[in-house]
Amino acid sequence: MTVTPIPLTDGMPERPRRRRTRRFEPVAGPLRFVLFLVYGIPILWIVLTSLKSPREVITSQASLLFTPTVDAYVAALADSGLFSAFTQSMLIASGTTVLTLMVAVPAGYGLARVDGRVTTVALGLLIVLQMLPQTASVIPLFQIFGSWRILDQTSTVVLANTAHLIPFAIILLRPFFRSVPEALQEAAAIDGASTFRTFFSVMLPVARNGVATTGTLVFLMSWGEFLYSVNFFLSPGKYPLSALLAQQVSAFGIDWPGLMALAVITSVPILSLFGFTYRLLREGLTLGAVK
Amino acid sequence: MNTAIFVAVVTTIGLVGGLVASIVLASSTRASAFVLGLMVFIWALPPVVNGSVWKFLLGDAGLINGMLGGLGLAESAVPFLYDDRFALLSVALVNSWAVVPFNALVFRAAILNVPGEIFEAARIDGANRWQEIRHMILPAVRPTTLVLVVLTIVYAFRSFDFIYVMTFGGPGIATNTLPFLSYLQAFARYDFGLGAATAVISVLLVLVLAFVYARSVRREEKDT
Repeated sequence: MTVTPIPLTDGMPERPRRRRTRRFEPVAGPLRFVLFLVYGIPILWIVLTSLKSPREVITSQASLLFTPTVDAYVAALADSGLFSAFTQSMLIASGTTVLTLMVAVPAGYGLARVDGRVTTVALGLLIVLQMLPQTASVIPLFQIFGSWRILDQTSTVVLANTAHLIPFAIILLRPFFRSVPEALQEAAAIDGASTFRTFFSVMLPVARNGVATTGTLVFLMSWGEFLYSVNFFLSPGKYPLSALLAQQVSAFGIDWPGLMALAVITSVPILSLFGFTYRLLREGLTLGAVK
Repeated sequence: MNTAIFVAVVTTIGLVGGLVASIVLASSTRASAFVLGLMVFIWALPPVVNGSVWKFLLGDAGLINGMLGGLGLAESAVPFLYDDRFALLSVALVNSWAVVPFNALVFRAAILNVPGEIFEAARIDGANRWQEIRHMILPAVRPTTLVLVVLTIVYAFRSFDFIYVMTFGGPGIATNTLPFLSYLQAFARYDFGLGAATAVISVLLVLVLAFVYARSVRREEKDT
């Protein structure tokens, strides 16, 4: 079953649509508002708290009225650690994305086009690998990296992240390649294109949405990942943003405005990426999840 | 045992919440589109960020306790995160909050897959909204549900970030799930052998789930 969302109202005559919207309202309207509150308030609160002074947070965390201050941001931005953490995050997330796609795109294509026992076994293994708890892999990886003496390096975290996300990426990419009509491939073959030529000039452009979706998700996930970073970097000086945040929030006596400012700074790149790729994500995610 | 409760809560709320949200948001009005976008954005945020926010909101002087106190529902602050009775449930609730958007997105796609004419036909036959949900939407999302159940169970089971950020397994052992326990054993007590053993047990549990999942996916692919 290929799940391609078809907007319900597209191409429908004008009248039923209007009636439909009105029918919804008595239950759906309030529920929708509740959803909006449940998901909107936390976001609002991150931003509000990051604009308060530590003293105000202690006296009344829940208050809406306060004199906004950008102290927390100034303090966060003045800290040179933030810039290096940001760079680390960028390095880790983009490194992971590039490496993962380099492996997963050809693999996803291969598994989509070749049928047989090997494919079935490989898919099963990938599903298992994708589902493994990260905590289960961090213990052996720590020891292996230790014996290779590559702990405390950015590339090590990239490597671990890549290994962790490749199964997920392959599984997500496969249905995109499967949905490319076989006829295209045959046409390319008749025109005398080699396998590589077919892959790069025909399949890849057609399946570019899938690659973009997967790339975005891998980037998002490695941006937020902190378990590997916390354990494989031996000193907090090299932590990416997510690890810094995780470390601060589990400490005692938290400086909430500073922490929330850090949270906002961590989220801004996500917001911009999200703005570009939301449409892709909305359709692409469902395709990958259901197949 | 903690793991079982945790997984059960997250799966139930995640799926029911996802389904309700998807039905509510399936209409293509601007408000639905906006709320859906907001939810997916939350889902895309790093769990560390979401976890920190909820740790803040659930604190003694946080927004939730502020509201409860203001409404006169609680006399003193409710210790959501450091009381044995509440901690596990609080973290599980936040975790389900984070997974609902994804489930809603997938359910919504399944609902939108039903041709609009079928809904119109039902309406002409005089079906009301509840009948529509009961007899049309629920059957339409049934195949999706199985896949999502497994995905959500696995998600809940391997959940780590929220526990790490919000309670770090505490108070005591109240929010230790299996994967988190193995992490604590290895990296807090430096007993790698014990941690690895716990990890192996959790991996075995995942294997069972993965088998169920692989079979249901195979079946779906045969249909194409």
